[in-house]
Amino acid sequence: MTGGATGGIRFDQVSVAYGGNTVLDRLDLTVEPGEVMALLGPSGSGKTTALRAVAGFVQPASGRVYLGDRDVTGLPPHKRGIGMVVQQYALFPHMRVHDNVAFGLKARKAAKAEIPERVAEALELVGMAAYAERYPRELSGGQQQRVAIARALAIRPGVLLLDEPLSALDARLRSGMLAELARLHRELPDVSILYVTHDQVEALTLADRIAVMDKARLQDCGTPQELYRRPRTEFTASFVGNANLLPVTVADGADTVDFAGRALDVPTGEAAGGATATLCVRPHLVGLGDGPNALSGTIAEVQWRGSTHRLYVDVDGHRVKADLRELRETPALGDTVTLHFAAEDAVLLPAGTAPGTGGGAHA
Amino acid sequence: MPSAPTADVRPGPSGSRSVLERRTGSIDGPRKPVEGPDRGAGDRRIPRFVWALPPVAVLALVFLYPLALVVQQSVSPDEGGTSLAPYGDVFASESFRSALTTTVWLAVGSTAGCLVLGFVLAMVIAFVPFPGGRAVARFIDVFLSFPSFLITLALLFIYGNAGMANGLWTDATGASSGPFDFLTTPWGVLLAEVTYFTPFVMRPLLAAFSQLDTAQLEVASSLGAGPARIVRQVILPDALPALAAGGSLVLVMCLNEFGIVLFTGAKGVTTLPMLVYSKAILESDYPAACVVAVVNIAISVGLYSLYRMVSRRVGA
Amino acid sequence: MLVHSRTGKWAAWAVFFVLFVPLFAVPLLVILAASFTTNWSGAFPSGPTTEHYAAATGGDSLQALTTSLITAVSASLLALTVGSWAALAATSLRRRGRRFLDALFMLPVAVPSVVVGLAVLVAFSKPPMLLNGTRWIVILAHTILVTAFAYSSVSAAIVRLDPMYEQAAASLGARPSYVLWRIKLPLLLPALTAAAGLCFALSMGELSATMMLYPPDWTPLPVQIFAATDRGSLFTGAAVAVVLMGTTLLVLLGVARIRTRASYR
Repeated sequence: MTGGATGGIRFDQVSVAYGGNTVLDRLDLTVEPGEVMALLGPSGSGKTTALRAVAGFVQPASGRVYLGDRDVTGLPPHKRGIGMVVQQYALFPHMRVHDNVAFGLKARKAAKAEIPERVAEALELVGMAAYAERYPRELSGGQQQRVAIARALAIRPGVLLLDEPLSALDARLRSGMLAELARLHRELPDVSILYVTHDQVEALTLADRIAVMDKARLQDCGTPQELYRRPRTEFTASFVGNANLLPVTVADGADTVDFAGRALDVPTGEAAGGATATLCVRPHLVGLGDGPNALSGTIAEVQWRGSTHRLYVDVDGHRVKADLRELRETPALGDTVTLHFAAEDAVLLPAGTAPGTGGGAHA
Repeated sequence: MPSAPTADVRPGPSGSRSVLERRTGSIDGPRKPVEGPDRGAGDRRIPRFVWALPPVAVLALVFLYPLALVVQQSVSPDEGGTSLAPYGDVFASESFRSALTTTVWLAVGSTAGCLVLGFVLAMVIAFVPFPGGRAVARFIDVFLSFPSFLITLALLFIYGNAGMANGLWTDATGASSGPFDFLTTPWGVLLAEVTYFTPFVMRPLLAAFSQLDTAQLEVASSLGAGPARIVRQVILPDALPALAAGGSLVLVMCLNEFGIVLFTGAKGVTTLPMLVYSKAILESDYPAACVVAVVNIAISVGLYSLYRMVSRRVGA
Repeated sequence: MLVHSRTGKWAAWAVFFVLFVPLFAVPLLVILAASFTTNWSGAFPSGPTTEHYAAATGGDSLQALTTSLITAVSASLLALTVGSWAALAATSLRRRGRRFLDALFMLPVAVPSVVVGLAVLVAFSKPPMLLNGTRWIVILAHTILVTAFAYSSVSAAIVRLDPMYEQAAASLGARPSYVLWRIKLPLLLPALTAAAGLCFALSMGELSATMMLYPPDWTPLPVQIFAATDRGSLFTGAAVAVVLMGTTLLVLLGVARIRTRASYR
């Protein structure tokens, strides 16, 4: 199955408002043909609104939406030719599986002779060929999910929209479906996928790039590795993975910051001396014992998490998290310990990164 | 997986707007016309409200227009012209006044009876469940689909002059006639209306009770509240909207009830709908019938609007 | 749940059945029993007979049954068409338009049936719309009276219908008319059949407006029952009433069967 002649999605300054309440604020984003773009953000961040603007179920107050090079902003949903899978699957309960999958083909008046073949093909692709005669209510959640995907793919869309497709599944099924989606994308390399989720694991696993949304605005966009290793905002740092965010002042000298009276060696890039900034260090990159950038403090809490220990250490009134490989001897509350981290594992972010001000602090 | 092409991307509002605009102009512009500003209209050339016009037109012709004619007739006395004289005549007549009072007190009394009876019965079905409770609920649904006058017909067999109850009494005491002689009085109508309309109260109550979290009751009783206190402080506040909605619906239906009154065949019980019927059909006095009809409409539409308001608030 | 002691429960049940049985169950049973009786002026009916049914299923009464059936079926279908159309059209309107349609189509419930009968009589007794004296005036009045119920049950079902089905269909390329035909109406089928059953039952039992309008050659069952009891033939009236109840129940059962087959979850 191949995608349409033109793939890709482009948001051009798209804003959506409900009754004076802006739920999507001037979104600029391009999803390339064949790319998986995850829209990641908390609920109310505007990510689902963005997806529904592509599908045509919400009308932008301003801005344009393009599918390929076609402006679809004013087009009703049924003329857009996109595939969509929603959280609750929305399989038509009064139709058997094969009729569900054939629905889009019939609605678009595909050649009658072609329909059974394409239905079989789509069902084969998601491994549901054996269930063609079932009704949706006779299927499990995971199976319904596959049928919903087959139904969306049967019309051979250039763009596939997935709105929290895994959130109705239990944790075990979810990781299986995640692998399944990755396989599907390998088999359909030309289809652009816009994947809305609030789950960073899904986004990190599946996406070629992640667009991080918060408060109706795009906060950050990049490959999973970029966002994880080099976040550009405090929001990205804390939403994609876990982060220690420490308030620091950039020292005048090269690559040094001041944290609660201590000098720490971290790359400061273009940040000006004397500026306040936020230092981001991932908890699993923090080590126990003396080393470069040592921070000593008292243990406030210890959590055993199976394979790791999470220590909460108070360093001069700032709480620092450290994820350590399971410790033989668990430190007691109130013990004084020293933590350290390598200079290259730290990222300097602009302080109090307000929504939408964009990155730039990291070099 | 294809590697992500990142070169083109400038996320954030300070991004590549001008680049995109230029591209739109140079590539899209010449090849296809730019979409007009009528976004959202899409392919709908017919405004949405047009689809609502045919049923509204039908209703206007067969219902609103006739109603308007009734109002017009009510101000057109037989002598011709337009005047409020028919209203004066009707309001002055004894038959109208007694019909009005009878209608109102019968409706209020029946509604009160329905509310009490319906609340008690629905409580037992919902909170003291017994085998067959669902069959009872099903029976109530069936009961609602039968016409009201069947109740009066049944009461004729039970309490009528030659009915069961009086027959039992005369057999037992040897008296020539039994003591039950209330069917042709307003009390007979009251009994029939309470019987027939109670299920209309029970239905919304049962629906409301089924949504009441039983955990609330269990928590309340574990905290030491007795059944009376639970009914008063947990169930009643929860059921109040349903009671209000059911009660006002029953009030309207009692005001407009015709079959029950007709079947009792009592000369002594005349309600407004009965008066409309006898003026129009038996006396052929259409202006008077229309006057009574307008009064009846005013009362019941007013009450019905109240019911809609109450039930909308319940829904909200 | 509410009453935990055994005696308390039994007391509650006793109260329930003392109220419920005589008020609701006995009347219907009495009518049923009376329809098989020659005389009943004691504790128990006497003289089992089926002769009332001979009267109730032949001649005038049979005529009345077919009259009622034709009236009820036509009125239900007409009401269902107009009511569902209005309910479907209302969903695409803005809030104020929807409220207007709601108020308009629920109005016939608020207006007393007798007055609806009077109004129809006044309006359709003179040319160009001369329906008085024909069966059509009865069918028309019934349609007006039950349309409100069709409208309200269908619009309640539309509110409950999850918009995700429509949206999924639209995203797959289905035009609004195709969505209506292949998705919305099939999903509303249970509600439509339920509304049809309700309209049918209401029309079968309609007496108030009918008394104002019926021509001599179009007397539905309720009028027939009234005529019988009015001339003192209570037992024949009971038999005709049983025929009325039985027919209504049969149709409702049939509709319920269609409905269970049409509901998918």
